[in-house]
Amino acid sequence: MTASQTAPLRRALADLLAGQPQLGASLDLLWRQAERGFPGASREQWLDACRELTRAGLGSACLIAYLRQAPSCAAQLGPEAAVALGRAAIRIGGLTGPAGAEALLGAAGKAARVLGEASAFTDWLNVIERLAGLAPDVIGPLLDHTETVLGHLGVRGLESWAVSGIRAAGGDARRRQLFFALIDPAARSWLGRGVDDLHFNIVERRMAAYLTALWNIRPRLRPRAGSAIDVPRRTSFDGSLIFVPETYRGFGGAQAVALYRAALAHIAAHLRFTQGRFPLGQLKPLQVAIISALEDARVERLAMAEFPGLRKLWLPFHVVSPLGASTAAGLIARLARALIDDDYKDSHAWIEKARRLFAERPVERHDAASIRAIGSILGNDLGQMRVPFNPRTYVTEPLYRDDNRGLWDFGDAAGNPESAEMLQEAVRIETEEREEGRAEQADGASEAEAGRARPITAEEEEIGTEVARYPEWDYLIGRERPDWTTVLEFEPALGGLGLVEAIHARHRGLVDKLSALIRAAKVSRPERLRRQKEGERLDLDACIAAAVERRQGETPDPRVYMTVTRRGRDLSTLLLLDVSQSTADRLRGAAASVLELEREATVLLAHAMAELGDPFAIRAFCSNGREEVRYYRIKDFATPFGPLAQRRLAGLAAGFSTRIGAAIRHAGHELAACRTHRRLLLVITDGEPSDVDIADRRYLVEDARKAVLSLAHAGIDTFCVGLDAGGDSYLERIFGRRNVLQIDRIQRLPERLPALYLKLTA
Amino acid sequence: MDLAGYRITTEPYYRPVGDEIALFEAAYAARMPMMLKGPTGCGKTRFIEHMAWRLGRPLITVACHEDMTASDLVGRFLLDAEGTVWHDGPLTLAVRGGAICYLDEIVEARQDTTVVIHPLTDDRRVLPLEKRGEIITAHPDFQLVISYNPGYQSVLKDLKESTKQRFGAIEFGYPPAAVEAEIVAHEAGIPRAEAERLVAIAERSRRLRGHGLDEGASTRTLIYAGRLMARGVGLEEACRVALVLPITDDPDIRDALMATIAASVGG
Repeated sequence: MTASQTAPLRRALADLLAGQPQLGASLDLLWRQAERGFPGASREQWLDACRELTRAGLGSACLIAYLRQAPSCAAQLGPEAAVALGRAAIRIGGLTGPAGAEALLGAAGKAARVLGEASAFTDWLNVIERLAGLAPDVIGPLLDHTETVLGHLGVRGLESWAVSGIRAAGGDARRRQLFFALIDPAARSWLGRGVDDLHFNIVERRMAAYLTALWNIRPRLRPRAGSAIDVPRRTSFDGSLIFVPETYRGFGGAQAVALYRAALAHIAAHLRFTQGRFPLGQLKPLQVAIISALEDARVERLAMAEFPGLRKLWLPFHVVSPLGASTAAGLIARLARALIDDDYKDSHAWIEKARRLFAERPVERHDAASIRAIGSILGNDLGQMRVPFNPRTYVTEPLYRDDNRGLWDFGDAAGNPESAEMLQEAVRIETEEREEGRAEQADGASEAEAGRARPITAEEEEIGTEVARYPEWDYLIGRERPDWTTVLEFEPALGGLGLVEAIHARHRGLVDKLSALIRAAKVSRPERLRRQKEGERLDLDACIAAAVERRQGETPDPRVYMTVTRRGRDLSTLLLLDVSQSTADRLRGAAASVLELEREATVLLAHAMAELGDPFAIRAFCSNGREEVRYYRIKDFATPFGPLAQRRLAGLAAGFSTRIGAAIRHAGHELAACRTHRRLLLVITDGEPSDVDIADRRYLVEDARKAVLSLAHAGIDTFCVGLDAGGDSYLERIFGRRNVLQIDRIQRLPERLPALYLKLTA
Repeated sequence: MDLAGYRITTEPYYRPVGDEIALFEAAYAARMPMMLKGPTGCGKTRFIEHMAWRLGRPLITVACHEDMTASDLVGRFLLDAEGTVWHDGPLTLAVRGGAICYLDEIVEARQDTTVVIHPLTDDRRVLPLEKRGEIITAHPDFQLVISYNPGYQSVLKDLKESTKQRFGAIEFGYPPAAVEAEIVAHEAGIPRAEAERLVAIAERSRRLRGHGLDEGASTRTLIYAGRLMARGVGLEEACRVALVLPITDDPDIRDALMATIAASVGG
């Protein structure tokens, strides 16, 4: 570009700066930077972006920020990225106001550094823009933590993390702020979970089965979550309790499965072969680390004698090389490798000595004392070599090994704080865990105390979607009021995933019994149809009768065949749960609340229905006046009773009132769309219909009765399970006498419900 | 009556685990109806074949199924040109000819079917043929044996109490490791050491019983795996085909089993 070409551009820049007295002086500097960052025609585009930014009315601060950021951005990622940044700032400013645009420009340099390439950078801009559209107020705090967030998640993870944050906060702006300011612990914990990292939940069951099959131990596995800042990096065990990192950072797919397997096989080897804890006594941290590594090697060798295949599992993780730095940690890692990998060559005198000492007797003749003796010798040697060892940063290598805490008996840890501290990671996390547990209990208690009238706080104010309006029957005027009630669908809150497993575990016997019952019902007993006109075999009785008739000179009956049919099931069910406030109560003599029992019953019933292969849906309802009949879709007909549905079920909370008529109408509406021969609506409720805007006790009962009748007209069967021992009269009024089952002892609901279902649908 | 087709001419291999052969001989001498209990694939059927050979009696085996009726056991009228003709069922055949009648997996049969054996299993030893109005007295050599797998009977499928108490029972389990290895080595034709590895794997799989598996790998599946190995299939692959894939469809358990096998195989 010649001087004659650049002159107008320079003038244009000068024009831009004319309105910005604080920048006027730096024109030369800016121009030099621009010349470097924006070669050729791109400088024109950059100036265009600057002009647009001026015109966008975002204030001079934005322009200044852009002028300062763009050249360095261009230098790192190329001019296109810098121009895209300007354009994005304009669009994001349009969504959030100037503050958002300024924040973006302020964060751009950091993002460019972390991301390091233009395509990722433009992706980042797009993500921020989308988020600005979703929740403009989070852009500021989000961008303040650009480095942390991008460093942990990358662009792809950023969006899903941020969207989860926006969702988790519901409509609550304050919670959103806390999340994006990384004050909310969930925000940090989710940061710690990379996008592709495999979560231990997914493999927990097969790992437990693996350990059972290998060593016949039934371990108690506890996934341990971390935060962004300290992620538990190693497994840990304490007695038969095994703590496992929720994720191993950066490990996904088959790699992570192999790592978990290696880690658990290693712990299992400890559980099997480590005879007792080593007393910590006055051992130095370095000696503790070395003795731990020796013990690791000993148990692994013993395990490999029994399961030679374990070598293949563990070896790939030993990647340390003899060329590594001769720090103590490096040497201990090499020691670990030298003791498991016979092909590993390491001429370091210390490693050779360690190998020699370890090989002095066959591995099965090693015991705690011999290991300890070797450890002391090696520890002294290493001490005399004056290699640096920092117990604070020491982590067991390789990755699959545990943190060794389970090996040591701390006794009076105060006597040896240094060594105890090295093993401390586990200690701290365990106490945290205990505290968490305590906090949960406290929560539970306060919830129970809150009992009846739960105030609606801002946090709970979710927004529902109106899905339908239904009439309501007023028995006084003998007429329906059209469009009187509004059904709103709410996104169900998500609960923990373990709930369903826990319920299954608690009712193991019942579940097995149910499965057996169901298998019998499902095979749908073959039925012999005799005296058929057609069929696959002769009905001998009919044949004989026909022969007799013929000989008597009568016309024989031609129906001499028989056939076997199996009757299939053709039925869909909608289970409608009452989650009004009263379900939070505990009934007399029951240890769990009505809602908890409903939930248990639902899990068992869902198990039954899923095994039968009947399509079923689960819904829950409560109401807050006629304009707000809340309807929660826990599970749809078409989807399996999978983790999402289970978490929704677990997340159900009691609240509000029981306007049952509208809920029944809506459930009926959904069922009407099913194309099965039979359609069954199963309602579980604990009390009389009621709502805040109704004083007349009879009104809602009559309306519900009307709703049930209208369903019957549409060919939908309705059945009610009542949990209120005194509720006979109104429930019978609503559903009809034969369509109500009163359960007097609520504890029996979980076992009664599936049995009832089978009876109803047999 | 010609039951030659039901005679067992060559000795079926059977490796006794305890004193079951002597017990059964005693029971046969007393013509006591016997019940063989035990999990699938542990050698019940092989045992009765061996005993039939040892005692020199023909063996008539009926595999029971849920659609089986009494006439499937006892016999029925068939049509021919002249009218109807009676055809003995397998049980009647055994009763008349003095064979051992073995009702395999008796719980599978409908309960109303199993009561036809009642008169045969007490001191009357008769079989009434209701349809023919005939009562057959059992041949002196006749014995009734049933097999019964308590493992997978469900709440709905159990023997009636009145049926159970007509039988003496011998319990079968998977044999001790050394014996099982001997059996697998013999039946599959593989070296003893290989068989021992298979048996070790089976033991590990049996630990998962009730923890994801309904049954662990049976001796039969081990023999299948061994036969594959005898034809050059690798241990891991043979176990996958004969042992893991057949017993579970649960991907988690499958994975755990395969990993266990991999750990056991080594190298």
